[in-house]
This record gives sequence, C-alpha cells and structure tokens, in this order.
Amino acid sequence: MKMADGSTILRRNRPGTKAKMFNGWPDEPFEEMDSTLAVQQYIQQQIRKEPSNIEVILTPPDGQDEGVWKYEHLRQFCMELNGLAVRLQGECHPETCTQMTATEQWIFLCAAHKTPKECPAIDYTRHTLDGAACLLNSNKYFPSRVSIRDSSVTKLGSVCRRVYRIFSHAYFHHLNIFDEFEKETYLCRRFTQFITKYNLMSRDNLIVPIIDVETPGSGESEA
Amino acid sequence: MKIPVPGQCSRFTMEESSPSTNFNGQIGPSAGGGINSGTKQADDAGQRLQYSIPGILHFIQHEWARFEMERSQWEVDRAELQARIAFLQGERKGQEKLKDDLVRRIKMLEYALKQERAKFHKLKYGTDLVQGDMRPPTFEEGGPEVTADAEQPFSSVSNFTWKQGRQMLRQYLQEIGYTDTILDVRSNRVRTLLGLNNNEETGSVNGNEPGSNKRASSEGQGGGRRTPAKKPPLNQGGSTGPSSFQEAMLMDTEAAVLANFEFLQAAHAAAGDEVGDEMDDDDDLQDDVDDVHEQTIRDTYKKNPNSLMALGLGLGDHDDVDAEAEEVLNELNILTQTEAAGNVPQGESQNWSGSVYPSGDESVKRETEPVDTSLGLGELAQLTVNNEAEAAYDLPSTKESLRKTWTAKYTLRSHFDGVRALAFHPVEPVLITASEDHTLKLWNLQKTVPAKKSTSLDVEPLYTFRGHSGQVLCLSMNSVEDEAFSAGTDGVINCWNLPSVNIDPYDSFESTVLRSRLLGHTDAVWGLAQDGFHQQILSCSADGTLKVWSPSTKTEALHTYMSEQDGIPTSCDYALYAMDKMVAAFTSGHSVLFDLETGKPVTRLESSQDIIGNEIGRHIYRIKSHPLLAVTVTAHEDRHIRFFDNNTGKMIHSMVAHLDAVTSLSVDPHGLYLLSGSHDCSIRLWNFDSKTCVQEITAHRKKFDESILDVAFHPTKPFIASAGADGLAKVFV
Repeated sequence: MKMADGSTILRRNRPGTKAKMFNGWPDEPFEEMDSTLAVQQYIQQQIRKEPSNIEVILTPPDGQDEGVWKYEHLRQFCMELNGLAVRLQGECHPETCTQMTATEQWIFLCAAHKTPKECPAIDYTRHTLDGAACLLNSNKYFPSRVSIRDSSVTKLGSVCRRVYRIFSHAYFHHLNIFDEFEKETYLCRRFTQFITKYNLMSRDNLIVPIIDVETPGSGESEA
Repeated sequence: MKIPVPGQCSRFTMEESSPSTNFNGQIGPSAGGGINSGTKQADDAGQRLQYSIPGILHFIQHEWARFEMERSQWEVDRAELQARIAFLQGERKGQEKLKDDLVRRIKMLEYALKQERAKFHKLKYGTDLVQGDMRPPTFEEGGPEVTADAEQPFSSVSNFTWKQGRQMLRQYLQEIGYTDTILDVRSNRVRTLLGLNNNEETGSVNGNEPGSNKRASSEGQGGGRRTPAKKPPLNQGGSTGPSSFQEAMLMDTEAAVLANFEFLQAAHAAAGDEVGDEMDDDDDLQDDVDDVHEQTIRDTYKKNPNSLMALGLGLGDHDDVDAEAEEVLNELNILTQTEAAGNVPQGESQNWSGSVYPSGDESVKRETEPVDTSLGLGELAQLTVNNEAEAAYDLPSTKESLRKTWTAKYTLRSHFDGVRALAFHPVEPVLITASEDHTLKLWNLQKTVPAKKSTSLDVEPLYTFRGHSGQVLCLSMNSVEDEAFSAGTDGVINCWNLPSVNIDPYDSFESTVLRSRLLGHTDAVWGLAQDGFHQQILSCSADGTLKVWSPSTKTEALHTYMSEQDGIPTSCDYALYAMDKMVAAFTSGHSVLFDLETGKPVTRLESSQDIIGNEIGRHIYRIKSHPLLAVTVTAHEDRHIRFFDNNTGKMIHSMVAHLDAVTSLSVDPHGLYLLSGSHDCSIRLWNFDSKTCVQEITAHRKKFDESILDVAFHPTKPFIASAGADGLAKVFV
C-alpha cells in the first residue's frame, strides 16, 4: 500500500494494510521531514530498516540537538519496552517475583508511589513504564518535541536508571523471555550502547552482560 | 316607549335561552313600577281635584325611596366597573410582560441567526461577515413598548424575574380584591389568545366560576338586583371551556348593559312623569325630585360618558341589542385602556372583543418589527407565539447546546506513538485510546491535571492496557457492560474488563483485566464493530476476511465473510437500523452490505463512477452506518465523504469534505451530526441533513503523511474526541 500516487509518495498506513507492510514505505530523507515529529520519524525509520544496526540508529543527523535526540530515543525505548512488559506479564507473577530484584544485591523500590514501595516485579515494571510515559509526555517538563530545556534533560538519567532494571530483572529471572525479545529487537543492546554513549548512567549499574559483542564500545559497557 | 321594554326583555330571554326569568322578573317590577306610576299619574291627571297632601307626600316618599335604591345600584355598578378597570389593567400588565418575553426570545433567535450567517459566510467565503452588531442581545432596554409604570425593570432573562413579576401582579390583583382564580382565568385567556388549545386549562376556567360568582354576589348584595341576573349566563358560559368563557364575559357585560337600560327606562318613565307633572303642577317638591333625577344622570355621564353614549345608542335601536351590547363592550374596553395609560397596542382590544388569533399575531408582529426590520420575523414571531410562555425558557438553553461551538478542553498525552483509535464509555466521561505504541490507555476526564494554560486540561491515564505485541489499530467499547475490545497488527482481538474509573493508576497488576483473546485472524485487524444488541462483535482483517465473534461464549469466530471480487476489507460496521446486516468497505473502493445470517452480499454500494484517480484514490478509510436510517457513510482517500442508500445501493450524496484523505467518521447517537477527521489535520462537524459543515477544528500534527486517525462522539455526553498520529488525543466540549 505504499504506492506512489503520481510522483508523490504518501507515507500512510491505510486500513487494510498487511501487518508486514505496516510503515513499509520508502525512506524519507531527514532533510525533507518538516514535521515536528521528524526526529521520531527518523529514529523509527532507521530501526525499521535494520534493528540490529545500532551504530546507525544511534547516530544523530547533522546538526541535531542532543537533548531532543536523547529524549526521542528514550521515548522509543520506553515504547518498545512495552513489548517486554507484555511478555513478562505472562510469566512474572506477583507470587513468584514478589520483589523487584536483579542480582541478590539490591531490592528496588518503586518510585511511582508517594512513599517508595516494595512492589512485586511486574508491578514495578508497569509502574515504571507508566511513570516514564507520564514524565516524558509531561507538558510541564517536555512541552515541545523540537527543543528541550537543560533542566528537563537531566530528568532523562533517572528514567534510564529505572527502566534499565526491567532489562536486568528479565535477564536474571526470565532469561528465555529476555533472549527471545532481545533476538527480535536488540533493545537491551541498543539501550546499553545508548546509555554508554551519552553517559546517562554509571557503568557499574549496567549489569546485564551483552554477549555477542560486535563493537568495542558495547564491550566496555559490560564491566 | 314603555311598552317595548318588557317585550324586549322577554325577547332577550328567549334568544339567549338562559334562565333569566329572574332577569325578566327583576326588570319587570321596576319597569312595571314605572308603568304603574305612569298609569297612576294618568289617573291623577284625570282626577286632579282629588289630590291630597298626604297622597302627594306618600308619592314623593315613594319616589325618593326608589331613587335612593337606584342610586345605591349605581354605586354598585360603579364599583363593578372600577373592578373591571383594575382587571383590565392587570391583564395589560400581564400582556406587556408576555410581550417583553417574546421580544427577548426573538432577539435571541435573531442573534442565533446572525451567528449562523456569520459562520456560514465564513465557511463559504473564508472571511468574516461584517454584519454590524454581533454582540449577544442584552435585555436591558426591554423593548420600545415598555411604559413608565412598568414596576419591574427587565435586567436578565431568568425564570426568576419572570416569576417575580408574576407574583407582583398577583399581589396587585389580590389587593384590589381579585382572587387567584381570576389570574388563572387571565392566563387561560392569554393562552386562548395565543391560539393554544390547552385542554388542561378548561378545568381551571370552570374552577374560576364560583369565585366570580362569589365576587358578583358579594358586590351585588347592596343592590340585590344584579346578582341573579349575572349568575345564570356565567354558569352557562363556564361549562363549555375557554371559548365560551369569552361568551360568558360577553353575557356578563350584556347583563350590565341591560341593567343600565333598565335604569334608562326608569329614567324615561320618570321623565315622562316629569313632563306630565310640569305641565300640570309647578310643585317645588316635584322639582326637587327632578333635580335629584337629573343629578343622577349627570353623575353617570361624568363617570362613564362612553358607556352611556353607547347606552343611548342602545336605546335608539332596541331591535339589535346583542350587537349593541358587543359594541358597548368595545367601547368599554377602549375606555378602560385610555384610562389605563393609553399606549397599549390595538391588538389587545381586538383580542378582547373576541377576534382572537390572527389579530393577536399581527400585534406581536407589529411590535417586533421595530426591533429589526431587515429580518422577516413573521415566521419567528409565529414560532415564538406558539410556545407556552413558561416553556420558552427551556428552549434557548437547548438551542444553545445545538449551536454551540466545540472547543478543545482536554489533551490526553501519554502515548509514545500515534493514537489509532479511541472509544468513549457509554455513560461515564471516560474513554480509551489505542496506540501504535502497543498499548491502550484508560482516561477519566474528571481526573485532570492542572496545566499551565488554563484553556486546556491535561489528563493522566488511569490504566495502561498491555496485551498486544504490535500496533493497536482498532477499538470498540461495549455499550452495556464495562468491556472493551481491541485488535491490531498482531491479528489478535483482546477482550478487556474495564477497571474501575476511580482506580489508582499505580495499583497492582490484575491479570483478569485481559479477559480473553480471540484468535483467528492471520493478519492485522483493522476494524471492530459492535451492535450493542447481540453480544457479538464484528472484525475485519487484512487477511481478507470479516469475522463475527461472540466473545462471552467462545474464542473462535462464529461466522466468516469475504468478498473475493472486492479484496481486503478495510472497515466494517453493523447496519444499525437492521439487526441482521452489516456493511464492509473493501480495497476495491466499494462497499458491500452483508446479511449476517446467510453471509451473502445483499447490496453493493458502488461509487466508482465519480472516483478520481487510481485505486488508491478510491480507498475507503472508514465506513459507518447511520444509527437510525438505512444510510451508509464512507470516508475516502480522494477527500470525499459519500452517502449511500442501503436499500437501493445508490449513492445519495457525494461531497469533497476535506483537503486531504478523510480517515475517520463518527455519527452522533441521534443521527443529526457527522464528525469526520482527515489527514489535513482537521476534524469537521457536519449537519447530517443539510450536509453542511458546522465547524472545523485543526486538531493534530502530522507524522509522515498521517494526521488524524480517529474521531468519536460520546454516546450520551457532550464530548467529541479526536486521535492523532502525533500521539495525542483531544477531547472537545
């Protein structure tokens, strides 16, 4: 359904489009994107083209504002993490995973409540994603998607830290789900590399080992 | 002169067939008295020499007593007339108030009309129409007809003021001795004047009659003569409702007039006496009597010259008493009105005299014309007059709701990617949105977050439904139970139990929220529909099939439908007017009406003849059924909205509705309005009947070449919503 009508290409998902053709239109050069959502469009376009090509995905176009770039990437991560959460819902029950843990070292408290609470892992996952969605869509902190205040950019770090725990819990407690998901999306690898590149978290906290390392950059992040 | 009087009286009795034998009896004696005295006088003339002082004294005393009695009767008459004047004044006040209300209504309507014109002009020519005063009418001036003695300045259109005015009127009337029943009579008369046949009011008219009788008898006690004369015609009139009430009023007046006749007869008789006396005798006493007599007549003239003039007329023509009585009545009215301040429109007096509706209407029209002569308000006036005064106050508010413009009130931001679908809760101000970020979110519009700009409120989602492993494309909410269905590129239809609308957003996970998953489609599901009647849902998928499910009983599809020649279904809907049909749009650009039982196509709704461009151009984004009519509406890529008759399959109407592809449609629950969304970033509200655009709102931004993906009406509340590719949903009120 990505037919060109005359010379113009209309990038639309018309009703009736097959699932595998969804968003299946020819790439649009970033320079030609005039929408306020250009960065999101560009990131999604790069991911769809080849999800494993992390280096390309994380390379901003020339002259791109770094705050917006990080923000849009984090949005994309949170969005794709929904997929992991859906899978975890089927297996990670409050009865079995009563606490949010990765290794035995830490119990993570859920920050979505007035007083941080020891939520079961699945609740922690959901609450963290919901909270991230609220924060990242907050009209107060992120009123615009083309320019972001520095004070708001600093909020991204804490979101990253919390969201990363979902990966770590899945890796240490639901490895099959993690592997399956990672094979499709390369999300944890992309996330790790993103964190490292923009130094959004302390490297000590990146506890999920990224095997099958292709770039030296991500190898370092294993530490 | 003497002889016709009794005859006339009896003729009157015969004609009116009213039991006024009393009347006859009443007049008889006094008139007879005149005759007797006349005869006596003739005798006296004949036997002049037999006069004696005691005889004369006795006669004078007798006469004096008679005149005294008559004088007291005159007093009573005067009181009666004064009461009538008060009554008419009260009525005039009531009429004025009513008139002011009507003028206000007209101004409201006029203002609405101006607004509509401006809107229409703007839509048609894209510029603002300059038409002078566009301010809403302020009701302070109260119209040109308000008199100086209006006690209540009309400052606002509120029932309260109106009621207060009414209350004052009531008090006023009570003060001068009228009971509430009279007021009822009055309001009833107003209704009759307005041409309303309000049968309920007949009772109150009948109910008034004891009151008036009471009044009549209490006032008539002094004279005693009038009471029985008045009663019978009133009873007769009261028994047959509003129209005969007027008759009763007429009779009433006639009775009064006849009573006056009687007096005149007596006066003439006396005058006859006088002549005879003067010719025969120059007695001082006699002169005194004459003086008294003349004094009385002069008094009467002073008090009521017009009526007496009329009486004079009546005397001159005894054969046509009824017509005369009516004329007298008119005179009376004019008199009262001139006394009452003079500037009451003629219409009222016409109403009074019984030429009821048309003249009343005319008078209203005449009053409204000064307000705005550029508008042909005749019809409007008619419209206004046909409503009951009280009901008129509800009307502007409903009108307001119809002509209101929608403004964005809530912004729903929490999705990471485009919002593909939204659906309102059947009752609550709650909605669900479905997004390409794989989630659905539940929103309660009553739980808002104060935003920086006070014009628009942010809402935080109450609950996030996670269950799809792909973009969620369509959504449907059950109109009876709290459940929702969603489907997307993963080909699964999820059935959700809605959590409570007051749930804590960060409550613990309940796996029961996802009730069941309907598996069967092998490709993206693009459309879901519910008829709300059978507990069934209809889905259409890119795998080329349409399926009907009964989610409460089994997870497999009940039926599968397809149309080989038309390709892939793009959208589907139940044909809401008939329970056993559904419509589906296909990639061929045609729509098909299916019989759900047999699975056979019933009618093809083809629109190929006027489609511009290639196959893409005729792509149908959305198909919707009218909730009441056998009409199907389709939204097309080529910017058109098309209307089809389901029975014939013929296209009824086709219109260019947007600047870009029309993506979404929603028909309001009453079938009066159509809402459309388009990739041109705007939503438009259409009048379903006239197919004219009522309002356009630019609502969303573009992502790639997509903008607005769904629109919806709240089934019961005044909300509309739009969902956009920019990840936002907006709710308008």
